[in-house]
Amino acid sequence: MELDLKFMADTFLLALTGVPVTLGITAVALLVSTPVAFFMAISKIYNVKIVKQIVTAYVSFIRGTPVVLQILIIYSLLPSLFNSIIKSAGWNINVFEINPIIYAFIVFSINASASLSEIFRSALLTVNKGQLEAALSIGMSPVQAYTRIIIPQALVTAIPNICNLTISIIKGTSLAFMMTVKEVTAIAKIAASYGYNYIEAYLDILIIYIILCSLIQFIFGWLEKHLGSYRILTGAPVKAN
Amino acid sequence: MLELIDIHKSFGSNKVLKGVNIRVKKGDVIVILGPSGSGKTTLLRCINFLERADKGEIIFDDLHVNVKTASAADISKIRKKTAFVFQSFNLFNNKTALENVTEGLIVARKVPKAEAIEIARKALSKVGLSDRENYYPSKLSGGQQQRVAIARAIAVNPDVILFDEPTSALDPELTGEVLAVMKQLAREGITMVVVTHEMSFARDVANHIVFMADGVVVEEGPPEEIFTNPREERTKQFLSRILPPVDDYVI
Repeated sequence: MELDLKFMADTFLLALTGVPVTLGITAVALLVSTPVAFFMAISKIYNVKIVKQIVTAYVSFIRGTPVVLQILIIYSLLPSLFNSIIKSAGWNINVFEINPIIYAFIVFSINASASLSEIFRSALLTVNKGQLEAALSIGMSPVQAYTRIIIPQALVTAIPNICNLTISIIKGTSLAFMMTVKEVTAIAKIAASYGYNYIEAYLDILIIYIILCSLIQFIFGWLEKHLGSYRILTGAPVKAN
Repeated sequence: MLELIDIHKSFGSNKVLKGVNIRVKKGDVIVILGPSGSGKTTLLRCINFLERADKGEIIFDDLHVNVKTASAADISKIRKKTAFVFQSFNLFNNKTALENVTEGLIVARKVPKAEAIEIARKALSKVGLSDRENYYPSKLSGGQQQRVAIARAIAVNPDVILFDEPTSALDPELTGEVLAVMKQLAREGITMVVVTHEMSFARDVANHIVFMADGVVVEEGPPEEIFTNPREERTKQFLSRILPPVDDYVI
């Protein structure tokens, strides 16, 4: 098997221009879904009557369907939906000129919010109830107790899971090419289609994703160590001398 | 100063408090004794609304609340006049010892930071932990953690400090540390309501003992009376198990 190394090198650099798009989609998905996911988690923990049921159904549906399908459905449905809304509102916007990255933002935000709400819920539950009681006993309001004591501690516990989710979204964006979004996979595949150098293109994509995800893991590892410095981390017992 | 009237509390079908009355005067050191399940801890937690009683009234100086209709503002007022020391310490894990003590001052009472730090340092030196102010709770022993918790309670200058079995999670040596601090506080005239099994503390430091069993106050009075001359049968039964037997003198 012969690999066209020159093509690989060129395509690698070309595909790198898609990295900002990949990271952009991931970042927007996480940022948009964080406040939503937090309130979904709280509504489940505090058993807020109707909201909890809606949240449970929503999370179950999103997690129970493949991303591929969500992308296909949203990309087929949303444009026509937007079109009818815009027509009835009388605005003069051409729906089909909307940058497809918007659809990517929507799909991955919806996806992230479902997983993130469960991550937040489990992280909040790891914090001892006594922390909240102590904060309230001292005269803090529930909001103060949550923002200053509970959430910081929950966040540290959530870091490994959020890292998982981030990597998962980064890899998921490789499907965004179905929405004609020019991210890493799309660029590499398009370049490959000229000369049928698919294997080289796939290897390039692989390398880029490994580098991206390793970087993310490194950053989250550093975050966990830094934010969690107040904890005793090792579960291993101290050796007696 | 503080009065609880006819407090009832059930958890589901389990009736824990069946009409309890308690009166606390300024400077009192009240010890609540009783077997497990008698409702002592629940009563304490009802005072600052960590549990909301089902029925009854709480009178705190000029604040008169019905526990069923108490508003968030009322509860907040009560919580600002009280402080709670927990059996499991409940120090804020993500804050240092000093930050634990200043938290209630800076955040809940809007005390300026410099002043709060000064108050906190005084409180920490009172419990003998000035050299540990930058340690996180994970690096402190149980006795040290509980003393920081006490410093956190005294720093906010409450009208009454509520102690829920403060030494039950500690070994005898560490227990001694904490009890010494509590004795010092009592000597300084701080009002305390303590749920404990430490009989020596109850006998030496308390000025009023309340004995509870099965959700009601069985007997109450000064320590001399309760320990040497209990009237009720249930009290005698409880005390006979914990106090060393007194020989019967027959002339």
